[in-house]
Amino acid sequence: MTAVADWTSAVAVAPAAPARRRRAWRRLRRDPIALFAATILALFLLTAAFAPLIAPSADQGRGTAHVASRDLGPSAAHLFGTDHLGRDLVSRVVMGTRPALGSAVAVVLLAVLIGVPLGLAAGYVGGRIDEALSRLTDLFLSFPPLLLAMVIAALLGPSLTHAVFALAISWWPWYARLARSVAQSLRHAPFVDAARVFGVRTPTIIARHVLRNALTPILVQATVDAGTVILAVGSLSFLGLGSQPPLPDWGLMVSDGRTTVLTDWWIATFPGLAIFVVALGFNLLGDALRDVLDPRSGG
Amino acid sequence: MLHWLGRRLLTSAVTLFAVVTVTFLLARVVPSNPASLYIGPLARPAEVARVTKQLGLDRPLPVQYAKYLRNLVVGDWGRSLATKEPVLGGIATRLPATLELIVGAIVVAVALGIPLGVLAARHRARAPDAVVRIGSVLGISMPVFWLGLLMQALFSGKLGLLPATSRLSLETSVLNPIPHATGFATFDALVVGDWSGLGDAARHLVLPTLTLAAYPTGLVARMTRASMLEVLGQDYIRTARTYGLRERRILWRLALRNAFPPTLTVIGLSFAYLLTGTFFVELVYDWPGIGQFATTALLNLDYPVIMGITLFGAIGFLSINLLVDVVQARLDPRISLR
Amino acid sequence: MSVLLEIDDLAVDFVRDGRVATRAVRGVSLELSAGEALGIVGETGCGKTVTGLSILRMLPPTARTRGRIAFNGLELLELPERALRDLRGRRISMVFQAPGTSFNPVFPLGRQLQHVAERHLGLNRRESARLVAERLREVGLPDPERTMRLYPHELSGGMLQRAMIAMALLCRPSLLIADEPTTALDVTLAEQILRLLRSLQRELGFAVFFISHDLDLVGDFCDRVAVLYAGRVIESGPAAELLENARHPYTKALIAALPRHGRPGAALETVSGNVPAGLEEPPGCAFAPRCPIAAAECLTGPPPLTLTGDRAVACYRWDAA
Repeated sequence: MTAVADWTSAVAVAPAAPARRRRAWRRLRRDPIALFAATILALFLLTAAFAPLIAPSADQGRGTAHVASRDLGPSAAHLFGTDHLGRDLVSRVVMGTRPALGSAVAVVLLAVLIGVPLGLAAGYVGGRIDEALSRLTDLFLSFPPLLLAMVIAALLGPSLTHAVFALAISWWPWYARLARSVAQSLRHAPFVDAARVFGVRTPTIIARHVLRNALTPILVQATVDAGTVILAVGSLSFLGLGSQPPLPDWGLMVSDGRTTVLTDWWIATFPGLAIFVVALGFNLLGDALRDVLDPRSGG
Repeated sequence: MLHWLGRRLLTSAVTLFAVVTVTFLLARVVPSNPASLYIGPLARPAEVARVTKQLGLDRPLPVQYAKYLRNLVVGDWGRSLATKEPVLGGIATRLPATLELIVGAIVVAVALGIPLGVLAARHRARAPDAVVRIGSVLGISMPVFWLGLLMQALFSGKLGLLPATSRLSLETSVLNPIPHATGFATFDALVVGDWSGLGDAARHLVLPTLTLAAYPTGLVARMTRASMLEVLGQDYIRTARTYGLRERRILWRLALRNAFPPTLTVIGLSFAYLLTGTFFVELVYDWPGIGQFATTALLNLDYPVIMGITLFGAIGFLSINLLVDVVQARLDPRISLR
Repeated sequence: MSVLLEIDDLAVDFVRDGRVATRAVRGVSLELSAGEALGIVGETGCGKTVTGLSILRMLPPTARTRGRIAFNGLELLELPERALRDLRGRRISMVFQAPGTSFNPVFPLGRQLQHVAERHLGLNRRESARLVAERLREVGLPDPERTMRLYPHELSGGMLQRAMIAMALLCRPSLLIADEPTTALDVTLAEQILRLLRSLQRELGFAVFFISHDLDLVGDFCDRVAVLYAGRVIESGPAAELLENARHPYTKALIAALPRHGRPGAALETVSGNVPAGLEEPPGCAFAPRCPIAAAECLTGPPPLTLTGDRAVACYRWDAA
């Protein structure tokens, strides 16, 4: 009776204790920076959700020109001014939240969906599969990250979809590595051994036990990456390798305003500001998450 | 040590080989009609057929691959479709300009980032820490192209302090050209004592370098801070304090030495960022470097140049990583290179 | 013998989020004479390490200290940081429990000792190297010149502990604080280190503030012993006498629990219950809940120290039974 109880308790005591997560959540809620970042991101999320309703002119936001009022500076009528085609910049920026946030989420999601299962499997099982995956990730990681994405996007033909795809391909190795190191460290953890002894099959062990422990570092990484991806998507579009006109892509808008930055400064400034603020939000939130969830962090 | 180095070089060579293969496949397999990359999508079928044969694109893939490899090794990286110049030569000509920016940015990142990180750790939870933390997170969140435009608008447009674009003013490049020795405008001017030329080159360097340096500086400061915090909590630092060693010495001579390795790794990673970050900075500031070469090639699908720059970027990155690993091993006496 | 160190009603609290979280030391008074070895014994959490750290003011910033600590007449708790730094490693030294992590892994061993010599004795590189080699030889490390160039990870625990002792005695301090110096070592090594310490103490004449949880060890090595419980001194006196003839029930229980007092084949004696933690302020004697001879009077308040000759005991009923 005692022996069984001991085993059961061994299995039950998994490191990702719910109590600790609750405490972490409470601490997060009290952190002013985390709240600030979360608020900003929530605002952008809401804007993206209700973009056509919030934008003063959704049509202009989507790309309809209004040449009569082009190149106007910020005013009461147009808080952010108008661009070279007379489109209200507030509308453009607001409508731009959709491709921006959408593409960021898409890239991170894709990268996680590709990289994490591969990494977990390789790290847990080890051996040849692990070797193969390591060679593969090494290969991908030997390219300067954005460069690979640029080349793929250029070769596929510049568009937002292709840019997202290209970025996801550049990004998945990081998640594979992360998942792999978590899986490796847990390969011989007591509760995993206990599960094995109980006859739980490998895929289930990976899915249930190993994955649960990998969630935290993956979540932290994904949050910070979201910020980097927003910058990357914007960068690709700025060069002309991502979204094509008339899509309200922030990077594209900055590119529009590039040549006239000394005179019509607002055209490049406000869309760029949007990228900056969203990236900042993700970075701050990611930092706060890391402080709260990683027991070893120095804060 | 040599043993380890040899093995690492071998692994790097294998990776490089894989990179070469991937680059080759990218340009051959991804576009549906490789020949059209040369002559445009509107060409007539007869033209397409002719070019296909001319470039050997109708041969079986392995044959193309072998030819490609052979050419790479002898330095024939193809010619730009646009300018017809040899790719390798084109890279070499533009490299110094880009290196000026990259090296400058790294220098700024290290010279500013490390001390800021140390100070932030030393005064943890107080004003200097907050300032450094805020500053560095701002630095890593800013789109580099946007920052460049802002700095242009502010320092050149509004304040008129610094030149907005180019590497040298028209005056210098046309009327008083700096004799070309290494291709580094600053160095070449210095060597012949051309002070006005040197000043001109330096003034043009300021904005682009600072723009490029924002991200790595933030990164270095953050990593240094985090690493220092961890080190300062270690037993051996407590020992040093217990034995009355001066705080300044403990911080800069002892703790920093222990905290440096992760920062070094970040510096290595920053090179990856800089290699592509320079594309944007060169575009904004009209800086005649590899970035401009690459951007034009990407948009025009000048694929010999694209492949050449990709390969070059990968080689550069791999080399930097190898160098960083070697230095890391030398820095930590616990790592034995067997 | 002159009094070298005087700890007078020392109290140390640790704060968190602005409020007191733990009362580690609740009023400790001790005296140490020049050249004497005083043992501080107690369970984990009794406040012995915190007391030791307080002498050099090496507590974390969350600590709040009250009371007096006088060293050769110098009020240590009032000394400005700069003056204190001059004292540390020079007049008062400390030896730690885990020599492996107490040395910096990226500097050669000798360099680290040289840092101390150069800092306090104003020596240059070459002079400090010579001095360090001498001191390493003094603690029994063979081939000091070569050992100096090695890194900490290349040396064994025993060698590192000897090196730490050498570092501690580099500047010939008058007081050495030893915080569980042999706990991390195996029995044979521990004995060697203790013998080394004792012979060095006899030769150089420094006083030792010996912190340990091992009553036997302390009884062997020290001249006098003080037993701590829940942040207070509950008994003190000459080592041999105290061990032979303990007065406080806790001390008696500790002695009974020593393996050498056990009978072969029988279970070892234990002291049941737990030390009061953190903020708990017990109504009377802190040991009452676990004490075999506790009575009503024991709950009236913390027992005062009863002094008889050179023995002291904090118990209401020490002379009962």
